[in-house]
Amino acid sequence: MSFFKVNHNCNGCLSCVQNCPANALSHRDEGSKRTLMHNISLCARCGNCWRICPQKAVEFQGILNGQWDEVTTMELVHCMICGEPLYTDNFKKAMDGKLEYEPAALCPLHKKTFSLDAWRHLAFDEKAVERSA
Amino acid sequence: MIVAEPKPLQEVALSVSGYKNVLILGCGTCVSVCLTGGDKEAGILAEELSSSKYFKENQPSFIVKTIERQCEKDMVEAYLEMPPDTDAIISMACGAGVQTVSEIYKKLPVLPALNTTFIGALDESGLWREKCQGCGDCILALTGGICPVARCAKKLFNGPCGGSSKGKCEINPDVDCAWHMIIERLEGLGRTDHYSRIIPFRDWSTDRGGGPRKLVRPDRTSTVAVS
Repeated sequence: MSFFKVNHNCNGCLSCVQNCPANALSHRDEGSKRTLMHNISLCARCGNCWRICPQKAVEFQGILNGQWDEVTTMELVHCMICGEPLYTDNFKKAMDGKLEYEPAALCPLHKKTFSLDAWRHLAFDEKAVERSA
Repeated sequence: MIVAEPKPLQEVALSVSGYKNVLILGCGTCVSVCLTGGDKEAGILAEELSSSKYFKENQPSFIVKTIERQCEKDMVEAYLEMPPDTDAIISMACGAGVQTVSEIYKKLPVLPALNTTFIGALDESGLWREKCQGCGDCILALTGGICPVARCAKKLFNGPCGGSSKGKCEINPDVDCAWHMIIERLEGLGRTDHYSRIIPFRDWSTDRGGGPRKLVRPDRTSTVAVS
């Protein structure tokens, strides 16, 4: 997916490539095809391509309002009472050797309200949970 | 980069008092990086003003938007969608951004939320120091890459004043003496000959003494009006 988008007015003149101050635009001529290329890690988002384009073909909003990329995904630890996400399993493993005790997987609300032993007891007694609410 | 600091909340609240629908406009470049005027800070300001004690009645409503750079007129005109019924803008940009947005929205007051402070560098996480005053006639080639205009309190060009002590400036022991640093740097580079040169009187017309400055690139002015 490219953040840099052009509309149907683009005629491949390469004005944008020649005028990009960050060298973030390039092109490849291969066989019968010309391909315009953009490197977002080099892009300064300066808008020169958009300004300079004689065809008004650069759709700069793709650079300004790009989509989110997923970077990494990992397992979550949840509050054992209400299921609220707390932290990742990897974070827990990193902290395990550094803490003097093993913290209970409880959100701030449930950690504050009762001790872990109380919650362990209440977790198996729905009526007791309702009474405590 | 341009470094700015937040104005006191009370001052911002006072400036926006009496308006109903206020756009808080973050800027996505320098002031985002120095943690004072980006999208996050714009949101925090909206929260603080919304829950502040500064509006006894007629609390304005705040909408937050952020644009990549407020200092580029054509880009702001093309890509900033002004919420309907906006009657004031709080700009989180530097002074250049505030004035550019003011030029575009001639009927709306554009109120600064920041004090633009200096051109600086990030020396360590959370610490920016002034490094350049944009004087328009750079002499860093002669001073070991350390600027006596921006970093010497007296802007001396030919060595220290005599008031420094143990490498610190007499105005404040937290401030490094620029000339102490310059001489150490030149010694390290083996270029103390630069120190023995006399730098002549300066033509300050390239600085603020010459009035507002401009940069013109004739090869790029076809779509930009130059006055």
